[in-house]
Amino acid sequence: MFAEWLYFGLAALSVLGAIGLILFRHPMNGAMSFVVTLISLAGMYALLSAKLMFAVQLIVYAGAIMSLIVFIIMFLNIQESDLPEEKGRGLYLVGGVVVIAPIAMFLYKIVRTLPGGDTAIVGNGFGEVRNVGMILFKSWLLPFEIISVLLLVALIGAVVVAGKREVGK
Amino acid sequence: MNHDFLLLLPVIIVGAGAVLLMLRAAFGKLALDSASVVCMCIFGLAFAAQACSALAGPEVPFKAAFNGMLMVTDFTRVAGLIILGCGFFTAMSSRSYFKENRFGLEEYYSLITFAAFGMLLLTMSHELMTAFISLEIMSLSIYILVGFNRRCVTCAEAVLKYLMLGAFTGGFFAMGTALIYGGLKSTKFEVIASAVATHGFLHTPALVGGAFFIIFAFLFKVAAFPFHAWVVDVYDGSSIPVTGFMATALKTAVFAIFANFLMLDPGLKGAWVTYLFYISILTMFGGNLIAIGQGSIKRMLAASGIVHTGYLLIALVAVSADRFTGSVILYYLAAYSVSTLGIFAALSYLSGAGEVRSQFEDFKGLARTRPYSAAAITIFLLSMAGIPPTAGFMGKFYVITSAIQAGQVTLAVLGIVSSILSMWYYLRLIINMYFHDAHESFESECTVFAPACTLILAVAVFAISLYPITL
Repeated sequence: MFAEWLYFGLAALSVLGAIGLILFRHPMNGAMSFVVTLISLAGMYALLSAKLMFAVQLIVYAGAIMSLIVFIIMFLNIQESDLPEEKGRGLYLVGGVVVIAPIAMFLYKIVRTLPGGDTAIVGNGFGEVRNVGMILFKSWLLPFEIISVLLLVALIGAVVVAGKREVGK
Repeated sequence: MNHDFLLLLPVIIVGAGAVLLMLRAAFGKLALDSASVVCMCIFGLAFAAQACSALAGPEVPFKAAFNGMLMVTDFTRVAGLIILGCGFFTAMSSRSYFKENRFGLEEYYSLITFAAFGMLLLTMSHELMTAFISLEIMSLSIYILVGFNRRCVTCAEAVLKYLMLGAFTGGFFAMGTALIYGGLKSTKFEVIASAVATHGFLHTPALVGGAFFIIFAFLFKVAAFPFHAWVVDVYDGSSIPVTGFMATALKTAVFAIFANFLMLDPGLKGAWVTYLFYISILTMFGGNLIAIGQGSIKRMLAASGIVHTGYLLIALVAVSADRFTGSVILYYLAAYSVSTLGIFAALSYLSGAGEVRSQFEDFKGLARTRPYSAAAITIFLLSMAGIPPTAGFMGKFYVITSAIQAGQVTLAVLGIVSSILSMWYYLRLIINMYFHDAHESFESECTVFAPACTLILAVAVFAISLYPITL
């Protein structure tokens, strides 16, 4: 019972963090709010017995990627005066909610029909490195392999977009 | 001895070639011109490998290792041929384009090859996660290609719009995949097909929602009606060869996976046919309205791309899911790709440095100074408008005949009406080229590649029109 309440609490927290991410004006506040989302997601993974996912979420996302984002925001040294003036922000938000509302209701109806989960601890080494690895390399070999191509393309993209270029080559 | 390796050989050639180009570019061992030749060789080789593997029937390459996540059929094979052809001609016309617009880098050719790699995988993928990753490989390469010219402002606008909206679409696709996994405990196409066949499409709400989001993503990528607004700005902002590649190869790949997904089971298609009916009508007429108002050729071609998406959606509505061959869709895609690539190849050597000639007025009197180029452009435009004896006419003919056979007479009639409307903006360019005096000489630093590419494609317009298909 406690675990279930904890799960819903974390779910609410992750949504609040995401809302904060778009509502805060300063990027640093947004980034900090995003950390809340990432950590509460990690908690949700832990409650679902996904141990490896929990660790990876904390180390890679909340740890490495977030510190990179925060580092870049600090590097740019954004002041209040640098931020763009956003007029009619409230109206855009209301409009967005009106557009999203039917989709949200649709999604809510669908999610209610899904079979309920259980927060009890699953045994048999579920969610451990070994089992995740077995599934990843046995059933999901092809997606795992082609993701490396995706990362390679992203890498080339970073070089092309940000790299030095000789003019008039 | 099985043919698994042979089936995947084109993908392997393209993937290895992309990595090779990337490495050569990284070490600066390759001049820009030879990079384009290497790129053409890779596409040519892969095209030959694809065309030669004449194995019949659907095959699942490396079934045990890849867990049945890829499927090769005649449909995916021909779609692969179109994509590889598009890559070849794009590499060819890019070479001339970069003679005058000097922002080319060797990485450009590597990215085109990577994009084609993603597209080939996308056509073959028989599972949603694989499809998602291939879609992202393709999209990511295209985003970078769109933003390749860092000095141009419209380019930056185009890449920002495309990246933001594309990321949203990717998110929707992933959400749809998650919902389908939640409902069916699998993301494999065969599991989805058997679930729809046994219980019907509406039995599992998660499947309905998942399919909704996935089809949403496909409709965005092919620029169908409610999601078409990005196309004009994005096509206008990117450089000419990239626009041509985007308009043809990307559309072929996404339509291939769209058709593969929709034709899994008659129940799945039956549930969507009514919506696709209205979407195709709105796409055709919405695209026509946008195209008529444009003053720039690239923007007009972008809007006409929306109209062609409308015709392809008619074909998608009309084909039967029971015995799906997709020959009509592929024929139309081939005909459309040849003419669109041709006109972009011609533009890539005629627009001049910095793409200064972009409006209809800039091409006044082209026929006086460069009669052959003007004739080639005329052939491509007539093919797009659907005038016999071009490939475009035969493509429209097959689409409309199959619509009538499927009992969709309304769609057939509206398709013809839209085709007549589209004459307005295609003929406008022809009139500008032929019935005015020349103000300039349209000189360009002559390289033989793009003109040769235009010539080959102009011949191909007639050659494809002679190729018969069965409906």
